[in-house]
Amino acid sequence: MSLTLKRILVVDDAATVRMYHRSILEGAGYAVEEAINGIEALEKALTLPFDLYLVDVNMPKQDGYGFLRELRRQDIPQAPAVMISTEAEGRDRARAYESGANFYLVKPIKPEELLAHCRLLLNAPGGTL
Amino acid sequence: MAIVKRVQTKTVDSDERSRPRDLAGLVVNLEAPNATARRWAVRDLAQFSEAVPALVERLEIETDATVREAIFMTLTEIGDATAVQGLVKCLRSEEAALRNEAIEAMKHLPDAVAPIMAGLLADPVPDVRIFAVNILESLRHPDVEKWLIEVISEDSQVNVCATAVDLLGEVGTEAAIGQLEALKRRFADEPYILFAADLALRRIGEA
Repeated sequence: MSLTLKRILVVDDAATVRMYHRSILEGAGYAVEEAINGIEALEKALTLPFDLYLVDVNMPKQDGYGFLRELRRQDIPQAPAVMISTEAEGRDRARAYESGANFYLVKPIKPEELLAHCRLLLNAPGGTL
Repeated sequence: MAIVKRVQTKTVDSDERSRPRDLAGLVVNLEAPNATARRWAVRDLAQFSEAVPALVERLEIETDATVREAIFMTLTEIGDATAVQGLVKCLRSEEAALRNEAIEAMKHLPDAVAPIMAGLLADPVPDVRIFAVNILESLRHPDVEKWLIEVISEDSQVNVCATAVDLLGEVGTEAAIGQLEALKRRFADEPYILFAADLALRRIGEA
């Protein structure tokens, strides 16, 4: 009866942040996977198909910019990505977009804001705007 | 062609090995074109705390991951106030990877970091305060909970408090309960703070 759920990969080193995003996204009917840094995220992206990535900037081992740059180089079906950061300055946004992000959100993120951006990207033709 | 390259590499290495292994010679070798020579220089500089400024300067331009890793290891090994100041400088870098590596290095230096922690937590730049809280995550020091409680009591920036409350969920005790409740009242319109504070309170209650 149900359609296949859209699958979202939440990439953040903070367990509480991952739980918060999971609770919001699963409550809205999305399937959620988690990764604690860019390296683990890339491993998951290469083995599972995702419809959207939510990526924190500051993470140990490999940060969000590095992950997105690596992801965009891979020969896999590409999905849109939302970069999430505490940094609101223009240069950080520019760096996120240069790395392959489709949106840039500044923490703290309210549930309705997160869901609005997810819906917008997931419903966009080809997953891009 | 390949043979020519091998001969050239060997010559460079041999020149660099013959340079004096004193402070001045090693600092010169930080500029060596060969990454292996730079890495040797970095490792040998661990005996010279005066080398910290040169090491930090090199970090800002070093592109080889193994040399960067060696620089952070050497700074951690030097581990004194000068080395920590060098790492603090990295926290202010625009490069996220450099900041994150500095945070990881500082986690291993509780005795050297502790005296400057209050200053970091009061830094005018909110992101530096967030990175300071990130350092506390694995800093084995008896004041970690006290510092976190001060952050959620006094810091006006929601993301700094959010980072601190995440950590209090892991290391907090009953001593944090009052300030966690106060934080919820102070940021009553921030769903993330409410979520994280409730989670921390639940974990403390279960402990």
